[in-house]
Amino acid sequence: MTATMDYSDATRATGEAIIELEGVDKFFGDFQALKDINMRIGQQEVVVVIGPSGGGKSTLIRCINRLEKHDAGRVMVDGIELSDDLRNIQEVRRETGMVFQQFNLFPHLTVLDNVTLAPRQVRKLPKRDAEELAMQMLKRVKIPEQARKYPGQLSGGQQQRVAIARALAMQPKVMLFDEPTSALDPEMIKEVLDVMVELAHGGMTMIVVTHEMGFARAVANRVVFMADGEIVEVGTPEHFFADPQEERTKLFLSQIL
Amino acid sequence: MTVEAPVFEETPPEVEPARGAVDWARKNLFNNWYNSLLTLALAVFVIWALLALVRALFSADYEIIQANLRLFMIGGFPADQLWRPWAATYCFTVLFGVVGGSLSAGARDRATEAGLPHVRTTFRQIVIRFWPIVGLIVVILSFTTTVTPTLLTIGALVAALGAYYLGRVLPRAIRRWTWLIAVVLIVAAYVALAGFGGVGWQGWGGLQLNLFLAFAGILIAFPFGLLLALGRRSPLPVIRTISVTYIEIVRGVPLITVLLAGAFAIGFLIPRDLRPSLVTRMLIAIIAFEAAYIAEVVRGGLQAVPRGQVEAAQAVGLTPWRTMRLIVLPQALRATIPAMVGQFISLFKDTTLVAVLGITELLDATFIVNSQSAYLGKGLFVVTLSFAALVFWVGSYTMSRESRRLERKLGVGER
Repeated sequence: MTATMDYSDATRATGEAIIELEGVDKFFGDFQALKDINMRIGQQEVVVVIGPSGGGKSTLIRCINRLEKHDAGRVMVDGIELSDDLRNIQEVRRETGMVFQQFNLFPHLTVLDNVTLAPRQVRKLPKRDAEELAMQMLKRVKIPEQARKYPGQLSGGQQQRVAIARALAMQPKVMLFDEPTSALDPEMIKEVLDVMVELAHGGMTMIVVTHEMGFARAVANRVVFMADGEIVEVGTPEHFFADPQEERTKLFLSQIL
Repeated sequence: MTVEAPVFEETPPEVEPARGAVDWARKNLFNNWYNSLLTLALAVFVIWALLALVRALFSADYEIIQANLRLFMIGGFPADQLWRPWAATYCFTVLFGVVGGSLSAGARDRATEAGLPHVRTTFRQIVIRFWPIVGLIVVILSFTTTVTPTLLTIGALVAALGAYYLGRVLPRAIRRWTWLIAVVLIVAAYVALAGFGGVGWQGWGGLQLNLFLAFAGILIAFPFGLLLALGRRSPLPVIRTISVTYIEIVRGVPLITVLLAGAFAIGFLIPRDLRPSLVTRMLIAIIAFEAAYIAEVVRGGLQAVPRGQVEAAQAVGLTPWRTMRLIVLPQALRATIPAMVGQFISLFKDTTLVAVLGITELLDATFIVNSQSAYLGKGLFVVTLSFAALVFWVGSYTMSRESRRLERKLGVGER
């Protein structure tokens, strides 16, 4: 896959921190999914999280928009600290868009309604404005012509692009991607990655859990390697792939590359 | 060591496809002596049974149905007030017409928007779809003694057709209010029956009462069932415990027990002047009973909605209440339609249980007419009970077919 892609521009200045995690722990029963995670992500930064399955990658980004509640430590998004306060949670969710492995489009709504739902319900945009915004976002992911269809009538790649448009319609400051291409047929992966690359070049702050090393090489400012609930190694893609320091990283890279 | 190449047996001799009925019969019915014997014996029995049925159908004395048709249909409704049930019937045919037309127009518009071809249902298809109902109407009309009911029925069909086309041509802005038209028509039907010196449901009987108890029962029970289902999933232990206790107690008891409780316990607890009529108490009992079953049906639907749907709604910032209303419930309720129709069919049949308390619904009516002096001791139970059975079968069968159709259309279970 990497051979067909040309994502050269990977160097971008990282601004102020927009996401901060301090000493975050997460338990599922007795199982510790996250162990003392510390992380600081700057504005417009693209961070790719890789690692073996069960290593806590998904749990990590799900803690950032509170789909999972962290058990210890602090999670701050754009200066708002996540707590049990529902208003804080809503505010953070308004600023973070999320794209899931299984798309999770709403099957009973048309593509357009999927995208306008949150702007109308949460940001209280009038219908007309919301639809205009939605069409802009659908153009951005290159499927404005599918607006009146239902998700079930689209291919997997198209569905995932609608899911990206749905998240973008809330005009978030951060986009979280949870293995966005893992459920796709190989020939559809590129169309989704292309959209994500454009998004990165447009200056979106992104945290991407993925197995697409080509994508990581091309657009990531930093690559984070997670295993057993810990951050094992962090580095720029050049260093990370060419010269990994930790044994676990070397083992993992040797298995997938 | 050498590995022997596996020896494949020759392909089994091809089973020759049967040619024609004679060949088929020889292969399947007469392939050895005892099968031949069995076939012959069964054939004799089937022919004998069919002949007996035909003879019974044509020699039976249908006068008992003819004379009591009004009792079967509307119970003891005053004979000089017959315009009332007819007016209600017209309200409902118009209702079905408008709703059907508006739904069809909605499907047409959605298909056009999505750029898909829309296949319109033809009149012939509708007749084929509802042949049991059409047949039942013909049978019932054949028992009438004057021409008026036939004319009124034709009028009702014309009204339904007119309403259907009206529903199709309604502008979109008005079509959104079809449900309101439906509510107005239902209220109008009730006013026609009960208003201005008519008879309220306390005095209804016959098929009219069965239909009323079934429809009112399921419709009023639905919101309660929904609340119970949501209560069962509530994070608050008090609400959850109350819901689970209620559902499990009611589901563990036969409907007849709940009806008897409604008749006697409610009557005992409430002072005589405030006591609702017997039919009202039956309705309350039915609602209490159905709510528990609907709760379980809805629970199944809620469980069918994947967790990812809730997460996606949360991730875009929808509040829990909006997530439930806009994302979970629309999908959950769609998934429950087949089970809900099944529940309705069984309730429709179970409304006959109120006969035990001396309410003259259809089944009770077909029973008591045999003690009229003209028919006493003539053994016409088979005739009258068959009539009741036919009515219930047509209703249940049609609904179950329609529900399967709807299921296919909504793609329930295909996701």
